[in-house]
Amino acid sequence: MKYIVLISVIFLSLSVFSCRENINERNGVLYWSSNNTDEITYARFIVEKWNRDNPGKQVRFQPVPEGQSSEEVILAAVVGGTTPDVYSNMWQGDVEYYARAGKLVALDTLEGFMDFLNARCDSAVIKEVTSRDGHIYQIPWKINPIMMIYNKKMLAKTGLKSPPRTYTEFLKMAGIIQKASLVGGRVTKWAGYAEVQVTWWQRWFDYYPLYLSASGGAKLVNADTAVFDNKYSVSTFAFLQKIFKNNYFPTDRLSSGQDPFLSGMIATRFTGPWEIVHAEKFKPEGFEYDFAPMPVPDDHSGPQYTYGDTKNLVIFKTCKNPLTAWYFLREFCRLENEAVFLKITNQLPRRKDLTSDPLFSNYFAANPLMIPFAKQARYVIGPDNSPVLKEVFDVISAEYEQCVVYSKKSPASAVKDAAHSANLVLMQ
Amino acid sequence: MGKKKLTPYLLIAPYIIHFGLFVAFPVVFSLVLVFHRWNIISPMEYVGPGNFIRLLGDTFFWQSVLNTLYFILIHVPLQLLIAISFALILNLPLRMLGVFRAIYFLPVVVSGVVVTILWQQLFGYENGILNRLLTYLTLPRIGWLTDPDIAMPSIAIMATWKNVGLYIILFLTGLQTVPVQLYESADLEGATAWQKFRHITIPMINPTILLVLVLSTIGGFSLFIEPYVMTGGGPLSRTLSSVLYIYKQGFFFYHMGYAATMGVTLTAIILVVVIIQKKYVERNT
Repeated sequence: MKYIVLISVIFLSLSVFSCRENINERNGVLYWSSNNTDEITYARFIVEKWNRDNPGKQVRFQPVPEGQSSEEVILAAVVGGTTPDVYSNMWQGDVEYYARAGKLVALDTLEGFMDFLNARCDSAVIKEVTSRDGHIYQIPWKINPIMMIYNKKMLAKTGLKSPPRTYTEFLKMAGIIQKASLVGGRVTKWAGYAEVQVTWWQRWFDYYPLYLSASGGAKLVNADTAVFDNKYSVSTFAFLQKIFKNNYFPTDRLSSGQDPFLSGMIATRFTGPWEIVHAEKFKPEGFEYDFAPMPVPDDHSGPQYTYGDTKNLVIFKTCKNPLTAWYFLREFCRLENEAVFLKITNQLPRRKDLTSDPLFSNYFAANPLMIPFAKQARYVIGPDNSPVLKEVFDVISAEYEQCVVYSKKSPASAVKDAAHSANLVLMQ
Repeated sequence: MGKKKLTPYLLIAPYIIHFGLFVAFPVVFSLVLVFHRWNIISPMEYVGPGNFIRLLGDTFFWQSVLNTLYFILIHVPLQLLIAISFALILNLPLRMLGVFRAIYFLPVVVSGVVVTILWQQLFGYENGILNRLLTYLTLPRIGWLTDPDIAMPSIAIMATWKNVGLYIILFLTGLQTVPVQLYESADLEGATAWQKFRHITIPMINPTILLVLVLSTIGGFSLFIEPYVMTGGGPLSRTLSSVLYIYKQGFFFYHMGYAATMGVTLTAIILVVVIIQKKYVERNT
């Protein structure tokens, strides 16, 4: 028995001492970055700089712990009450979920925040990140706009002088590529590739950016109601349905083995700027590519919006020093520091002076492939504010598969059914 | 308490703690959850029978149950037949028997994710090995994972390949317990090989058959990794298994109460199916 008592005393003592250590650590700010190597480099840079300038307000940094996904790790941390004070890679679509559960600090209540935000973003972006309760729980931080990457030589062979801008041009190009690739009746090259799996986030790379382009940046969900049952959704579904019906995109998964784009199996892909680093590393000799905006309906006019894959900065309610955390984030987003961020990570800060400030110009001069993304940056949309947005994407995905991939439904009825199911989800 | 009295409790303590934490607590907690709405980070909200009412109208759940039953209908008999056949062969006095037994068991110990990725290379529509073979034989290609009617049978074939080694071993063990004298007596009576198999082997390995049936049925109801990795539940939700759907509701969308309700319902379904199986096997062998 005395051994049990002894072990218990040791265990309790260790627990108490580790708690005391945590309390001491809590006098500063704990910051988690993503575990992307480049973002870790930037995080180290900014934290070291901050700690040098602010010896009394130390920031401790660590990458988000390893897990199946950073979203899962953050959720586990929220549940376990072990959240960092600051997190720099929050998917915008998750913010409302945490905000409604009271897990995030309303940043607009902090001194100087709205002045900062007004200087950083235009009114449309501010409106986009404002929650339904009227508060703002996030700083719009970085974007990776989804655009169309294209193989220059493959497109040149189709006779097109510029990348396809409209649905008709895209379908025409796709037909030519398919015809030229037939070997014994078998298609060997495709106009593009879109994942046929119904995983909800796959729609960020086909339906959603195309819908945003067609509609001029319309919402999917507004005030907890599905608002995507409109002509833009229908035309997007119809366009994609034509693509699959004509076998312009393969229904086979091309995710394993060699890169289908770099190996010339597909002429285009809807993707983000991360593709550049990959392509530069693995492209065969003589391979040429560039980026263009997402295709739009033939009668489209006005700017071509796209999905921005927005990741934002948040402060968790568990933070003992929200003001210090806020001042740290303000420094994090300072113009000079974000110029460094862009250089290190090749990811675009979400700020209105991205294309106008000379501090960024040098970077774009040295990285011309990033220029289309910088131009597109003015016309990106982040996910709508809804705590069940993933489920909305999931029901859209289910209808997408029925209509687009298998042609079991007309675009109009698929969109109508998706909106109906989404409204049921939103009601729950 | 004396040292002698305490020792047994200390010895069983690790198991009791493990059982309490990882079996008893989750079971009790899931029974509590079925009457609540809980998204993990907000407080639980009592909804009475709300989750069950939602379940009744959830076409995806019932489709997932039908899909799972369809999978079991293909997978279990196929597994049983192949396992018995190979066990009979491996029970013969052949050379290098140990090597063959190891080879058949190998897929069982390979990670499910690795197996599914390997089979994706076989099942690919445009460039899969099977379709290349069909093209070579001038036969039409098959959408192994993309044709809604073929996808689940394809997964069943792959799952059978993956798991059959375990059941071969179980049958081998069963076969080795059959007394040789019974076969010798039957030989004296002039029984054919089929008659010996039907009237001696099958009744004698009846407990093994029941064990394999129950294990593979429960394994079939647990179908998850294969559709999760290979098809994501598609095409057209035809490979959406019940466990995959529960996982989606619980861990993608954080409907913990609803996921628990589906889990409890699935447990009840498994119980009914296993009881029916048990009665059927006991009556017919």
